[in-house]
Amino acid sequence: MRKEGASAAGSERRIVVSGVGAVSGLGWGIEALWQGLREGRTAIRRFQRFDHSGHRTHLAAEVPPPPPDLERWSSSQAGAGRQWSVADRFALAAAAEAFAGAGLAADGALAEAGVFFGSSTGGMWESEGFLAALLAGRRRSIHCLASQQVNGPGDAVARFAGAGGPVQTISSACASGALAADAALQALRSGEVELAIAGGSDSLCQLTYAGFNALRSVDEQPCRPFRAGRAGMSLGEGAAVLVLEPAARALARGARPLAELAGSASSCDAHHMTAPHPRGEGAAAAMLAALADAGVGADAVDFLNAHGTGTPLNDAAEWHAMEEVFGERAARIPLVATKALVGHLLGSAGAIEAVATVLALARGELHPAWSEEGIGGDTADGDAVPALPVSLVVGKPLPVPEARVALSTSLAFGGSNAVLVFRRWSDPAA
Amino acid sequence: MPPTPTGLPQVVISGLGYAGVHGYGRSCLEPALCGGEPPPTSEVDRPAGYHRRRGARRACLADPAGMGPWVAPAEARRMSPLSRLAVAAARMALEDAGLGSARGDGEAGRRGAAVPARGARGQGDWIGDGGDCRRDTAVVVATGFGPSSFSEALLRQILGDGPESASPYLFTESVANAPAAQIAIACGARGPSVTVCQRESGALLAVARGAAEVAAGRACRALVGVVDEISPLVHALLDRFGALARGVPTVGGEPDGSELARPFDRRRDGVVAADGAAMLVLERAADAVRRGARPLARVLAGGSAFDPTAPVTGWGAGHERLGAALRRTLDRAGLEASGVERIVSGGSGARGGDRLEAATLRAAWSGRPLPPVLVPKSVTGEYGGGFLAAAVLAAAGARFGPTAGFAEPDPALGLVPHDGRPLRAPATVLLSSLAAGGAAAWLVLAAP
Repeated sequence: MRKEGASAAGSERRIVVSGVGAVSGLGWGIEALWQGLREGRTAIRRFQRFDHSGHRTHLAAEVPPPPPDLERWSSSQAGAGRQWSVADRFALAAAAEAFAGAGLAADGALAEAGVFFGSSTGGMWESEGFLAALLAGRRRSIHCLASQQVNGPGDAVARFAGAGGPVQTISSACASGALAADAALQALRSGEVELAIAGGSDSLCQLTYAGFNALRSVDEQPCRPFRAGRAGMSLGEGAAVLVLEPAARALARGARPLAELAGSASSCDAHHMTAPHPRGEGAAAAMLAALADAGVGADAVDFLNAHGTGTPLNDAAEWHAMEEVFGERAARIPLVATKALVGHLLGSAGAIEAVATVLALARGELHPAWSEEGIGGDTADGDAVPALPVSLVVGKPLPVPEARVALSTSLAFGGSNAVLVFRRWSDPAA
Repeated sequence: MPPTPTGLPQVVISGLGYAGVHGYGRSCLEPALCGGEPPPTSEVDRPAGYHRRRGARRACLADPAGMGPWVAPAEARRMSPLSRLAVAAARMALEDAGLGSARGDGEAGRRGAAVPARGARGQGDWIGDGGDCRRDTAVVVATGFGPSSFSEALLRQILGDGPESASPYLFTESVANAPAAQIAIACGARGPSVTVCQRESGALLAVARGAAEVAAGRACRALVGVVDEISPLVHALLDRFGALARGVPTVGGEPDGSELARPFDRRRDGVVAADGAAMLVLERAADAVRRGARPLARVLAGGSAFDPTAPVTGWGAGHERLGAALRRTLDRAGLEASGVERIVSGGSGARGGDRLEAATLRAAWSGRPLPPVLVPKSVTGEYGGGFLAAAVLAAAGARFGPTAGFAEPDPALGLVPHDGRPLRAPATVLLSSLAAGGAAAWLVLAAP
């Protein structure tokens, strides 16, 4: 028999970010991330994860060893050491920080939460170790592969949180983290969940490092998004997590919202597996749709956290998309390039850039990209790849105490684009 | 067309494409389901060196030759086997939906008429009924293991021959979202492009996501489904984790290659893994009516949950919470449990998985009798889209034979799957799929 009166969707609900957590090349935790970002200190340097002497390039933004208290915490968790991948550990640390920041103990308070996670390679690093041992004729425990699939980090977070709501991992390359936040927003708006954990996690591995080098997409220097002479991306690793919930729920339990996730949208270039549409048509479509979803016009956008990988084609396409959306304002809108400091976190990139955007709105300051001094900049390479006419924040933080609306863009391999719109939190009751 | 109980527009499934062990096209799958025959299996490439000597030997592997009419050679050369399966199934689904001639080959394809050169104007024209809608077509694809054969080949290059030997082509097609991207390129689909990786639950999550995109107006149409390939490495890993059915041991101790999935049977000992793809066309019911399409089913609701008691590679004991989540899913569909006329279960022959599936269904039904339970994975294999395709066919009224592999009820389960007796076409169908690791997903369909 059919029932009458099932609940209607609550699309009008305001969804806020009530907690954030991060692990990146700049360190473990939000404050390590923010301090590094505002100092314009890049984490892209020679790294230790694996022997890169045979690779074409030698830099990455590797997560440093965890502080002792985190190491002890990690070791005390069930399953640690045997079944968690490196990406799982990043995800769990970021999630624990986000829960604490949101005022949610992991015991019981998250029982109905949904988990929406992005990952590009999951436990690929562990798979490589397993396969290398097999190829060398050595035996290795199968347990190192227990969490090797890309859903490993998201599942690990759900298991840790005791979450019983929807859990899904999105693996749409570099847009995964943003698409996960998009999925969380839709689930919250529809009333499917009242609390969502959105984020992403990926670790450095040989497959992506060699793969992007094979495509000649990796810069031999730290990446230089939008600048003259830019010659590719720099890979990074880490995780970022956002706790999302309806504003009314957050306020009722005494949480202090950091920002509002006001809208989101996604699109596909349907153009090429690795090259973006040269005019950034798909990216522009996603930006416009996200703004429409948030109910704000392009003229209301105060700054943009760009995908900004540093590859000549990608940055150019993103610039063209900005021109399409913002018109003559495109060159004046402050542009933030988080990848210049933490590298490209692939499946987690959209999540950590969302966190950087939330922090910028909450703290009224935009972080700079690293200074060009002593790095090269407009050198001989610059003759071949000119700078794009953007207002990139460089050198020192830019105060933006009045900024209200920001975009975070993610443009992926395979042409998948995702855009998030954040709004500075202002309590309507205040 | 009335709205759904959630107030959103009704979404229908108007096309189905299947590329798998039973052939290419739904017409290949229907007789197999009706006959209730176990799937044909093939020997996996064990000399690759990953397998244990006494491990499982066989999987259900799709015949790549069958893709010829659907993926032109000029396209196939830049796709992984996984992408080819996905594009073939997507094109079948479009053709099945009456959305133009979607074939990528045949004489027209070889001449390049049906598949314009990359970037050429008119690409994807065979979606066919208006540029605006084509631009807004979403693609949502689930995959459990991604393009594993390409990942494996690329890693062999990197680890065996050195990083500089890595092939950019292999890398490009080794990403999990390559099949979704190739579908979008092949079809000119410029709406949201999402790849879901949630093991056995991914297929239903993908359908629910696509339906939500269409219902909310974020896409006017969606190509949704699932694709998987069982590479030797994936097969060996599944076997090492004890997931695969074993054949009868021979005198030497090795299985005899007679692996059989026995869902809900007392003797079940694992799944038979399959590669393949199933893709669906979703659109608003009003749009389907407007263009004279004959939908296969209506999508009433999707739902999902997680069992945090589950170990990383197995199933937990959270049937009560999962049962409650399933009831909420039915609630969103506007149904009581008693209103479900058929269950298409993701029971696969996995010991723990089938136990949790049975307990969850019993919990949701509060001990009342279940409607007939169809269990197609013993015909289609686990993974590879067979379950999704079979479930849509069930909602469309296809006849199902006896449950392959089932002979001895397991008294601990309290669930006996369909015995093959004729059933009238159901008005409502519940699809259930619980994944190893804790995820669960459900979908409620109704007759068109």
